[in-house]
Amino acid sequence: MKHINFKTVCFVGLFACMMGSVYADTLRMAYSVAPKTIDPYKSSASATASLNEHVYEALVSRTNEKLLGTSYEWVDDTTFVVNLRKGVKFHNGADFTAEDVIYSSCRMMYRVGGKKNMLTSAMGPVTDVVAIDDYTVAFKTVGLYPILIQKLKSLSILDSGDADLGPTLKFDNTGDCGITRYPTKAEFESGKYANGTGKYKYESFENTGDAVLVRNDNYWGELGNWDRVEMTSVSNSGARMAGLLAGDYDLIENPTGEDLLALEGNSAYSYSTMPSWRTIFLILDVGSDVAPGVRATDGSNPLKDIRVRQALSLSIDRQAIVDKLMGGNATVASQFAPSYQVGADSSMPDMAYDADKARQLLAEAGYEPHHISIDLRMPTAKYQNGTRVGQAIAQYWSRIGINVTLVAEPWSVFRKGRSARELGVFMYGWGHPQGPSQMISYAFGSRNKALNLGGSNYSNYTDPEYDAAMAAWAVETDEAKAFEYNQEAMRIAVRDLPGIPLYYQHSIWAHTSDISVVGRPDERTFADMASKN
Amino acid sequence: MIKYILKRLWHSGILAIVMSLIVFFGLYVVGDPVEMLSDDEFTEQDKIDLAIELGLDKPLFEQYFTYAGGMLQGDFGISFVHNRPVLDLILERLPATIEISLLAMIIGLAIGIPLGIFSGIKNNSRASKIISFFTTVGYSTPNFWQAIILIMVFAVFLQWLPASGRGLTNSMFGIEWAWLSLNGLQHMALPAINLAIYKICMQQRLAKSGTQEILYQEYMTFARAKGITKSRIIRRHLLRNILIPIVTITGLEIGGLIAFSTVTETIFSWPGIGKLLLDSIHMIDRPVVVAYLILITMMFVFINFVVDVMYAFLDPRIRHQK
Repeated sequence: MKHINFKTVCFVGLFACMMGSVYADTLRMAYSVAPKTIDPYKSSASATASLNEHVYEALVSRTNEKLLGTSYEWVDDTTFVVNLRKGVKFHNGADFTAEDVIYSSCRMMYRVGGKKNMLTSAMGPVTDVVAIDDYTVAFKTVGLYPILIQKLKSLSILDSGDADLGPTLKFDNTGDCGITRYPTKAEFESGKYANGTGKYKYESFENTGDAVLVRNDNYWGELGNWDRVEMTSVSNSGARMAGLLAGDYDLIENPTGEDLLALEGNSAYSYSTMPSWRTIFLILDVGSDVAPGVRATDGSNPLKDIRVRQALSLSIDRQAIVDKLMGGNATVASQFAPSYQVGADSSMPDMAYDADKARQLLAEAGYEPHHISIDLRMPTAKYQNGTRVGQAIAQYWSRIGINVTLVAEPWSVFRKGRSARELGVFMYGWGHPQGPSQMISYAFGSRNKALNLGGSNYSNYTDPEYDAAMAAWAVETDEAKAFEYNQEAMRIAVRDLPGIPLYYQHSIWAHTSDISVVGRPDERTFADMASKN
Repeated sequence: MIKYILKRLWHSGILAIVMSLIVFFGLYVVGDPVEMLSDDEFTEQDKIDLAIELGLDKPLFEQYFTYAGGMLQGDFGISFVHNRPVLDLILERLPATIEISLLAMIIGLAIGIPLGIFSGIKNNSRASKIISFFTTVGYSTPNFWQAIILIMVFAVFLQWLPASGRGLTNSMFGIEWAWLSLNGLQHMALPAINLAIYKICMQQRLAKSGTQEILYQEYMTFARAKGITKSRIIRRHLLRNILIPIVTITGLEIGGLIAFSTVTETIFSWPGIGKLLLDSIHMIDRPVVVAYLILITMMFVFINFVVDVMYAFLDPRIRHQK
C-alpha cells in the first residue's frame, strides 16, 4: 500500500518528489513545544533554546564541551579570562574574534525595543568585558563568581558586524556600549541576523514554530550529520506519535509510556532514552508555625518534626513508582540532583522505603493515625506521568495513616499559588545544566541576595551548617573544592529533608529504525543526536 | 434600517465591554503572567523588572483602563509571551482558520443538505434509516475521538494523508494559503473532514425535518397537482423554504468554527487561532486572550447581522414587513 501511495504522490506531486531526492539526508523532527523566536536572547524556554543552539554557539556547551572558548581561568578575584578558538567563521563568512564576544555581551544587556532579555540575569555580576587580544577576552566581575562559566552557557555569540559599532566598543550594563545601531527587533525576528557559528545554518523560521536549517559546511569542528533539518512542533502527544507512524517525521520527542508499548511490536520504529538532569521531588514547609494545607489535631505544623518528614519519605516505594508508573524510564533518587551529574556525590544511598518504620516514627512523634492531614499540591501536564505519581504518593501516605488530599492544578494556577506561598506541600521538578548545586542553592539556602542563595526557598528552611557550606561553595573557584562544599550541603539537605527527593526523570525520543539516537541529559532535542545507521 | 443598525452597534459595544471585563479580571484570578514567564533562577528584582516592563506593577483597574483605552484606538496591546502586537498574531493565524472552517462548512452543506432532503422525501426507505443511523453516531461521538480515528485510519494505516501541520502555503492577495497547492490540500483534508462530520450530521437533520414539514404543506400538494416536475418542485419550492433555518444555523456555525476549532486545531497541529487561544490561556497571555474574545464577539455580532439581512432576502414576508 505504501508503495502504491508513493507512486501516486510522485505522479501528482512531481515537484515534491524532486525536492525529496535533492535533500537525501533530511531529518524531520517534531518538538512537543513550539520555539518562539530565532533571536537567541529572548527566551530561556527549552524549545526556543533548542532551535537556537543549532545556529549559535556559546563559549562552552551545556555539557561542558569547549566550543568557542578553548580554556578559561580566574586570574584574580574579579577577572575571568577566556581563550577563544581561532579560525572560526560565522555563517556569513566573518571571522570570530574577541570583539564578537564583547558585542554579544552588550546585546545581551541591551533592551531591544525596550524589552529586557530573559537571560540577562546570567550576566548579573559582570561589570566589564574587555579584549586582551583578538583571541583572549576578560570578564570583570564585582567579586568572585565561580559559576560565571556556567552562566555564560546562555551567551550565544553573534557577529559584531551585524551592528554599527561606533568608534569604540566599551561594555556597559545597559548594552549601550557606544554602539550606534543595533539590528531592530523585527530584523532579528525575521532571521536576517540569524548568523552564528553553529553546525546548522538558518534557512527559515515561521511564527508557528516551524523551522528549516541546512548544514554549515564551513563548521570549525566535525560537520553536522544532516544536509537539511526540518523542525515542526506538535503539542498533542498522540498526534505527534501518529505523525511518526504516518511517516511525516523521523524523530519525535516526549512520547508517552503508552506510545512506547505500541512501538515495541513494530520493527520499523524504535525509541531511545537518556537519564535527564531533572529531579522530581516534594517541597515541605518545615519552617512556618502553620504550614498552608497541613493540619494536625494539636494545631502545630507537624512538618517541623524531622521524624514526620522521615516517615513521609520512608513511606514512598520509589522503586515501584519507577518500575510500574514510569515503565523503568526513571532512576530512584538518592539526593536532590541526579547522582550521575558531574559534581554530585554518586556514593549516596538511594532513598529508602520502609513503611513499618515510617509508622513507628509517626507514633514516636506523637501522631496517631489520621491526626495529620496534608494537601499535596502539584501541577498537571507538566512532568511525565506526574498526576499518576502524585496519586501514588497520596496512597503511600494514606497507608501510614495520613489523610491526604491531592490537589492537581494547571501550571498557571499552581505557579500563582506557589509565589503567594500558599502551598505547604507540593511536587516540583528541577533540572539544571549548571550542576547539582544550583537547585539546592536556590531551594534550601537562607535568603542571601549578595550570593544569590535561597531565592526559591519555599520550605522556609534554615540551617547554619548548610548555609555555611553553600556560602563557601558560592565563592570557590577551585572546582574540586566547590564540589565538596556542594556535596556537604546536599548531605545536610538529605539528612534534614526540607523536601523529599523522588526520582530522576529520563528523556525519551521515538524515531524510525533507520536512525540511531544518542539523547542529551538536558531535555533538549538537537539534530545531531540522530545519525543514519 | 439605520436606526436598526445603530441599535445593533450600541448593543455590541456593551457586549464588548462586558466581555473584556470578565476576561480581564477572570484571568487575573487564574494566574500571574510574571510567574509564567520567569525562570526558577529569577531573582525578586528580575521579577519586579519584568512586571514593570509588562505594566503589571500598576493597580488592576489602572491596567484595565490603559488596556481599554488602547483598544479604543485600535491598539490591542503586545503579547506577553510572543512580545509582538496581538493583532499581528491573530491576523497571521486567521487565514489558516478561515480556510479550514470554510472548507469544512462547504463539505458539510454539500453533503448534509442533499442527504437530508433525500431522507426527508424517502422517509421510510432503508437508505434513509441507514443515513439517520450514521448521522446520529456522528452527532453524538466526541470530536477529538473522531479526529484520532481519522488519523489512525488515513494517516497511520493507509498512509494516504499527512497527520498534522499545514504543509506548503502559497501567497494570494499577500496572504499565505494552504489550499492553493496539492500538498496544502492534503494537509487540510483530515482536519476539514474532522470539522465537517458534525456539520454534515447537523445539516442532514435540519434539512430532513424541514423537508418533512414542508412536504405536506398545501402549496406543495398544489404544485404536484399542477404537474410540475419533481426536480423543479425540489429546487423551487422545497429548497427555498427549508433554507431559512439552515441559513441561521450555518451563520452561527461558521462563527463557531472560526472561533472555537480549538480541539481540532490542537490535535492536527493546525496553526490557526484556536490553537493560539489555547496556548495563550495556558500562559496567561492576557492581551491575546482578551483581544481574541472581543474580536470573536464582534464577529458573532456581525454574522448575526448578515443572517438577518439574508432572511429578508430569502423570505419575502420579512422583506416586505413594514
